[in-house]
Amino acid sequence: MITVRHLSKKFGETCVLKDVNAEINKGEVISIIGPSGTGKSTFLRCLNLLERPSSGEILINGVSLLSPETDIHLLRRKMGMVFQSFNLFSHLMVVENLMLGPVQLLKLSRQEAYDRSMKLLETVGLTARAYAFPGELSGGQKQRVAIARALAMEPEIILFDEPTSALDPTMVSEVLAVIRKLKEQGLTMMIVTHEMDFARDVSTRIFYMDEGIIFEDGPPEQIFEHPKREKTRAFIHKISLFRFTAESKTLDIYRFNAELEDFCIRHLLNRKQIHNLQLLCEEVLVNLLFPLTEKVELSIGCTDDNRETEITFEYAGQTGNPLENPKPDQELSCKIVQHLAPECNFSTEAGSSRLRFVLKDNNSKVSS
Amino acid sequence: MKIEKDRKGQELTLTLSGRLDTTTAPTLEQELQQSWNDISTLILELKELDYISSAGLRVILTAQKHMLKQGSMKLRNLSDNVREVFEMTGFADIMTIE
Ligand SMILES: Nc1ncnc2c1ncn2[C@@H]1O[C@H](COP(=O)(O)OP(=O)(O)O)[C@@H](O)[C@H]1O
Ligand SMILES: [Mg+2]
Repeated sequence: MITVRHLSKKFGETCVLKDVNAEINKGEVISIIGPSGTGKSTFLRCLNLLERPSSGEILINGVSLLSPETDIHLLRRKMGMVFQSFNLFSHLMVVENLMLGPVQLLKLSRQEAYDRSMKLLETVGLTARAYAFPGELSGGQKQRVAIARALAMEPEIILFDEPTSALDPTMVSEVLAVIRKLKEQGLTMMIVTHEMDFARDVSTRIFYMDEGIIFEDGPPEQIFEHPKREKTRAFIHKISLFRFTAESKTLDIYRFNAELEDFCIRHLLNRKQIHNLQLLCEEVLVNLLFPLTEKVELSIGCTDDNRETEITFEYAGQTGNPLENPKPDQELSCKIVQHLAPECNFSTEAGSSRLRFVLKDNNSKVSS
Repeated sequence: MKIEKDRKGQELTLTLSGRLDTTTAPTLEQELQQSWNDISTLILELKELDYISSAGLRVILTAQKHMLKQGSMKLRNLSDNVREVFEMTGFADIMTIE
């Protein structure tokens, strides 16, 4: 339905979108997630030409959006847009807000537009507020009106840009419920959102955007459970990363411990967690990995509630799992490591090996 | 790591403080080898030791093996961190801990 090829967008010198490629099919619900400032909004705005792409191609049902002959207004009408701020006309009643587009752009009679609008208000559960003014509505209700207004144009797809970000937390769910309902009706949607649980259960596909591209694209199960790329993982787990290159010949354990401690303190990890991390790293590096390799890339991430810390050791060369079949002098290390981190995962591919642990801490409080 | 020695007749007490890890374990090993020959009791006072890794455990195990031949060895006042490592490795069962 929509094909995006090599889309790029520069603002002056800054290249926000580098090379975006995507295929969006009818009936899909695609959530776009990623750090702020990576161009998620810019991508949506390019799709309906609120921004002019710098280069690339956007095809809608095979018709190029960017070619001069195209009737842009017609194509744009097929795409509804719902913003973070509701953009309702405050001097018009709710139902009038909905009627405006159909009357002016679709040339419906006022009666037809009214009937359609009332029906849509029913869909979003706001029949009773048809004659209210936007100022009399709660944030959640305004956003539901904004969604109904987009629907009034009978778009083929609706683009949502953080539809719940401006809302009071108590009102998020009513808006998400409406979006879920639209999915059941088969509407194609693209949703930029920070609501991860929602994205996970409503979407058919997730785009993780980063570095000006769709960095990873896959079903929710892949993106949230088994992301293929490290950056996606880090984002999903809201992980802040500590990186260290450890070389067997030059490893300075004091410096390592000091840097690690620094990182841990900044992220409010408790003494016990710091101790366990240092112990795990020493055992794995010195006793389990340095016999196999000279250089190890270590990264440590913690989730934002500090309950889980993930430690990854990566090194060149394909080896067996260092925790299996330990030599007699490695047994102690294995015991310690397995006790500290019962969850361990070893993989080896494309000429390198990776050992990953998760340290759990059930005592740590959510930092406030 | 800091090591303090206190010798009373046949009894030697080593008070360890700080971290007994892969870099400091050799120091303890040397210290032990210099002093364990003519004693019958070796006491490791560990109240101030707040970190031990397998490298440290190995040295302590060597000391235990040595002392069993000529007397005994005791560990005193393990800190929580150290006690936990002793427990997870089974060392708590094979050492005399006071
Ligand atoms: N109209 C504009 N002019 C200049 N820079 C812009 C404009 N719109 C967005 N940007 C910049 O582009 C980058 C991406 O913005 P945006 O698409 O809003 O990111 P996101 O929605 O992922 O948070 C930001 O660095 C932003 O400052
Ligand atoms: Mg945005």
